[in-house]
Amino acid sequence: MTAYIIRRILVAVPTLVILIVLCFFLMQVAPGGPFTSERPLPPQVLANIEARYGLDQPLWTQMWDYLVGIVTRFDFGPSFAYRDRDVNDIIAQGFPVTLTYGLISFVVATLAGMGIGVAAAIRHNTWLDYIAVGATFSAQALPNFVMAPILVIVFTWQLGWLPGGGWNGGQWQYLIMPVIALSTSYVASITRITRSSMLETLNSSFIRTARAKGLPEHKVIWRHAMKPAMLPVVSYLGPTFVAMITGSVVIDVYFSTGGIGRAYVDSALNRDYAVMLGVTILYGGLTVLFNLLVDVAYAWLDPKIRY
Amino acid sequence: MPGSIRKSGTEMVHRTAQSERIIEALAEGEAIRGRSLWEDAKRRFIRNNAAVGALICLGLVVIFTIVGPFFSTWSIEEIDWVRMGDIAGDGQPSIDSGHYFGLDGLGRDLYARTIQATRTSLIVGVIGALVAVVIGTLYGAVAGFVGGWVDNVMMRAVDVLISIPYMFIIILLMVMFERSFFMLFVGIGIVSWLDMSRIVRGQTLSLKNREFVEAATTAGVGRFTIILRHIVPNLLGIVVVYATLLVPLMILVESFISFLGLGVQEPNTSLGALISEGAGTVLYGTPWQIACPIFFFLVTIISLFFVGDGLRDALDPKDR
Repeated sequence: MTAYIIRRILVAVPTLVILIVLCFFLMQVAPGGPFTSERPLPPQVLANIEARYGLDQPLWTQMWDYLVGIVTRFDFGPSFAYRDRDVNDIIAQGFPVTLTYGLISFVVATLAGMGIGVAAAIRHNTWLDYIAVGATFSAQALPNFVMAPILVIVFTWQLGWLPGGGWNGGQWQYLIMPVIALSTSYVASITRITRSSMLETLNSSFIRTARAKGLPEHKVIWRHAMKPAMLPVVSYLGPTFVAMITGSVVIDVYFSTGGIGRAYVDSALNRDYAVMLGVTILYGGLTVLFNLLVDVAYAWLDPKIRY
Repeated sequence: MPGSIRKSGTEMVHRTAQSERIIEALAEGEAIRGRSLWEDAKRRFIRNNAAVGALICLGLVVIFTIVGPFFSTWSIEEIDWVRMGDIAGDGQPSIDSGHYFGLDGLGRDLYARTIQATRTSLIVGVIGALVAVVIGTLYGAVAGFVGGWVDNVMMRAVDVLISIPYMFIIILLMVMFERSFFMLFVGIGIVSWLDMSRIVRGQTLSLKNREFVEAATTAGVGRFTIILRHIVPNLLGIVVVYATLLVPLMILVESFISFLGLGVQEPNTSLGALISEGAGTVLYGTPWQIACPIFFFLVTIISLFFVGDGLRDALDPKDR
């Protein structure tokens, strides 16, 4: 097991380095630097600015500094658009917000999806099952950017129950709509995966044995069926996590929650590459880390896996 | 056969009539056509009401994007100066004014814009899926068929690429170069083939030790020719299924980027951009601005899901 974890880490580290290098070189080949403007700067000023940001160094030195800065000091460098802030400030300001509702959505999507999926599988071919299957099939077509306006129309405009945006320190009223919008389509996917895998497990012979020896149904499900049935769900948690991260950009923009997504989109429109790269690398790193955790959890759950 | 004894009388008559027809056909020397995998799949698909219904819906959407522009009296960028002052009132959907879907926030005709947006989404979806099919199938088939360290290196590369949040890479590409259709296709093409290559590789592994491949090898056929002639045709079923399921995913990716305002540039538009614009004006009493694009978005995506599901049931024996 330890050897397996170490091997997985050995794969994860180059992935991260490749991601950083790839992003860095994308920035280099992009036409137009951060200081190209309609009114060209005097050459001396430009040279000074470039020296300030280390752009006068050879490319390899720049990349090495960037990489070392991220790895050792967790420092993504200065922002090109805002003179008084660096990328770390921007991340530190928005990230806690994004992380809060992102994690809540992730937990909601996983628990709700698994719950509905298991319930539908146990009550296979009853009205509950049919409703779950029908609803989740359509809900898969409701991504966050469709759910968000629909929720605002219903709960803010028509009913007036919930505020249409803002954060207010993370009060629960401000959390409900972002969480629902972010998790709906993933509740649907997880429900479908759980349901089909639970059905498959319940049809296998070791469950028949468990029932034959007279175990009560709840024990059959909790003690015997749950663990193998959860394996496909666990491997789907990685993609769910990525979806929460990317979806949070829409939530931040639409609900003005003040998270990192707004800064990301602004930086894309301002061509503030430093912020774009910093956020991309941060999210890429989180993804790699999370996938690592999922793999380890999977190996722990599934005795069939070879280390 | 014990089953046929219990058959009712009429069915027996029917049976004999059918067998007589077959005997007749045989007597006349006509060949009886066998049922191929594809014919079987077609029968199964046609029996699936939901999938056929979805296919019809999809067909209607496609026809609408082709025929629709002929009925449009406004172009996508023309501003109706007369009505733009009171969009919530004069800009409502009406047949008289020629704005069948009403006006958008700037006074442009939403009918023409919705058609263009739907077309953009469909084209992006289809091209993304095509890229995935071509690159993913070849990559996966080569990796699976060649095997050994080549396979190892190729699939590790996919592992690395797949764990990068691709939405950010597409946005990065779109922003750093130009925001155009071309860049959008490049960005989507870069990410869409990864899953496909994994699926295809798995299938290839199970195919490559079959007798017909051995026969081809013995006959001296080159490796690459074997992949193209013998492996790829046998993969088509699964490839078609996943390609159909990829189309809605590609549409979702494109709409997501457009919603953020980082997609195709004005005056061109796409469903994500229209939903975003409509969502921004929701509180000004212009519900049609969001209802029209969401309607087309949902119809397209849900139909594609149903068609893909139907195709999977028809073609992929594993899930039946």
